[in-house]
Amino acid sequence: MTRRLAYLFLFVAAACGEQSTAPGDCPNFCPGGSIDVHDTIFTSIIERDTAFRGYVQGFRAQAMAVVHLPGIVESRAVIATDTMIRRVTPKVGDTTTVPIGIDSTRVKFVIVRRPKNTTNVRLFLYKLPLPVDSTSDFASLDPAFSAPPVDSMNVSALLARAAIGDTQTVRLWGDSIRTDSAGHVLQINTDSSLSVFFRLDTVQAPFSVPDTGRLAFGVTVAADSLPSISLGTTATVGLGPVVRFFYHYTIPDTVSATPDSIGHNDRTVATRFDGFVFNPATPPDDSNLAVGGVPSARSLLRVAMPRFLHDSIDVVRATLILVPVNAVQGSVSDSFPMRSIPLLTDVGAKSPLSQNTALFASAAIHIGVADTVRVELTNLVRAWSLDTTLVTAFALMQAPEAASYTEIRFYSSRTPAFRPALQVTYVKRFRFGEP
Amino acid sequence: MTAIRRLGGWAVRVGVLVAVFLTAQPPNRLVAQDSQFGIRGLGTPGKWESVRARTTGGAFAPFDPFSPMTDAALADVRRMSASMASGTSWRTIDASGATSSLRATRFPALVIAGPVSSRIVVGGGFGTYLDRTYGIIVHDTIDLRGQPQAVTDEITNDGAVSDVRLAVAARLGKRLALGFGLHRLTGSSRIIATRTFSDTANYRTSTARDEVAYGGNGASASLLFDVTHDLRVGGWFRSDSKLRADVGGVTKAENDLPLTYGTGIQWRAGAQATLAGTVTWRTWSSAGDSASHDTFNWSFGAEIGRPSSPFRFGVRGGDMPFGFGKAPTEVGYSAGLGRQFSGGRGRLDIGIERLDRSGTGLKERVWTFLLGLTVRP
Repeated sequence: MTRRLAYLFLFVAAACGEQSTAPGDCPNFCPGGSIDVHDTIFTSIIERDTAFRGYVQGFRAQAMAVVHLPGIVESRAVIATDTMIRRVTPKVGDTTTVPIGIDSTRVKFVIVRRPKNTTNVRLFLYKLPLPVDSTSDFASLDPAFSAPPVDSMNVSALLARAAIGDTQTVRLWGDSIRTDSAGHVLQINTDSSLSVFFRLDTVQAPFSVPDTGRLAFGVTVAADSLPSISLGTTATVGLGPVVRFFYHYTIPDTVSATPDSIGHNDRTVATRFDGFVFNPATPPDDSNLAVGGVPSARSLLRVAMPRFLHDSIDVVRATLILVPVNAVQGSVSDSFPMRSIPLLTDVGAKSPLSQNTALFASAAIHIGVADTVRVELTNLVRAWSLDTTLVTAFALMQAPEAASYTEIRFYSSRTPAFRPALQVTYVKRFRFGEP
Repeated sequence: MTAIRRLGGWAVRVGVLVAVFLTAQPPNRLVAQDSQFGIRGLGTPGKWESVRARTTGGAFAPFDPFSPMTDAALADVRRMSASMASGTSWRTIDASGATSSLRATRFPALVIAGPVSSRIVVGGGFGTYLDRTYGIIVHDTIDLRGQPQAVTDEITNDGAVSDVRLAVAARLGKRLALGFGLHRLTGSSRIIATRTFSDTANYRTSTARDEVAYGGNGASASLLFDVTHDLRVGGWFRSDSKLRADVGGVTKAENDLPLTYGTGIQWRAGAQATLAGTVTWRTWSSAGDSASHDTFNWSFGAEIGRPSSPFRFGVRGGDMPFGFGKAPTEVGYSAGLGRQFSGGRGRLDIGIERLDRSGTGLKERVWTFLLGLTVRP
């Protein structure tokens, strides 16, 4: 009897699992309430939208745009080095110094972006007159770029060459290299960026004592198509330009009658300035919403959330609709991401941005395309819907900022026919409690 | 025998503990019998029957003190007693050719009663008034932003309207017993409505959830009359107020509840056989829209064998209150066994029930395993 009862209770316990959900046969055998989806384009809830410029200067950008599109845009990278020592202490502990003699100079750039399907990509290195700084512009430096380059490198040809990976090479360079007869070296980095090295003699890169050894170079690019690349800058660790002097000096023998010996060494000098100049320059700001350019521009958009979006619906999709004033001109490979980042608090141009990456959004801006731009702001609008303390405003910016000549402009709320709009798809609150 | 005695001691203790616990707080899972027919209406009416009554098709319910159908039957309780029932159901649904299988375990009824004098018995407990537990999944394609978008809706409702009863029964003379009860309808259901889009990259899942609280009151009266020593007839009547549905303290709906009345007859055909039959009417058509129907239900059952270990069987039939077109019908067959232990201090009832429900566009077949425990500490 006890065993039978035990079996009985085990049977009941095993059957206690619940499965109460079945395919619905609507409408006859479904609840009266239904999940209703609505889609509305709010054409006037984006207000007080405006653009501000000057967030990131070109010489603070993460990259230098180098583009050669005659008649459309020409962008050139420029760098200037810091001073170079002229004397060295030949012996440790000595107080006397001896002059150095420059043997050669190696200039390194990192190509952080390049069109992969473009052939015959060539870099041209130009010697620029000093000083080169943030006041330099395309026109002032153009004569130097009109002169013959001091060196040029065919990146495509170097890439096509076999890698040299013997132990001695790897010991010196840290990895395998590709090189040509002119002494140019190319390394493929782990992040697919390319490090390219120009080797310059004293004629190509003369050491100027009056200039305290400072040098300035410019870089242009050419290719069979889409000649547009980006070079890394000192704003990103490990990707900036590097100029390295190789020099010799005399070690005087003050003890015996043997001849003086020659010492060899090298020194890397700091990059004093790096940036890029381009033509045509970024046009002056107007009543439209600018995003990008140099210095970088951001557009702040404020959203007047309707009350019902706060408390009676569930947002399932929200899309910002922006109408470009015109297509962005440039190389098609210069398409860039435009990011939407919510404001932490709204104090105008200097509004701090939220660090909550879950609320960020992004949209690709394609070169030469004037189509309406749509940015998915679902997470952001859902957050606004749930938390009324959040500032209902966000900034549109280029990523990375000021690293390219590209800029897009959208019609603002001052142009009613094309003003920004927010398309919201939402589910109305389910009718709980009604049979 | 020793094992049975030991089990009886355990059963008594556990039974009392369970009875105290359940009486203090009626659980939400206190539901009787889910049905898809109740989704569109107020729910699926519960069966106010103990396992003993249910295995006789419900025919013994008016005469069984541990079935919360009639209050007058409490007059037969001579000692403080408690009874509870549980049921595990396997349900097959055939909706326009699409079949699915469901499973659930429920505790449909609990009754505690005891005499306060030689003629008056007070009792109480709870049963299921309306079951509101269900879940449906609907696949559809909607037009969204000019594109067809596949969506999946899932609406789950977990809860019930419980009937908490306080009743008193009095025996007036040897033949007549009267009973009166006050009923508090209470309960809640947790509703979750979820819409999932196939395009998860652009559309977020929408989930809405809330809890609906139900409230209402009712009163019942009943009588049992012993025509002869072996023949007993009974009648009962019950009226309830509107059923109020509140969400967040705001009343969202009020629905009329039906009048309930019925009659039954029980005949003791000797020492080891008892037969009974009942008919019940409920005016459910006042409770909702055109899909609500008045119901008529009948049942017939028998209990055969020694009172300590009887065999029971029964059959029931009638209408269900909610369904499009004609009122859905329900036919049921049941059988079961009872076993007393601990010298009659406890009784274990088991049973099996088969229900066939049929309505416009939907058929349900339900197998239910029933288990009941009655203790007299």
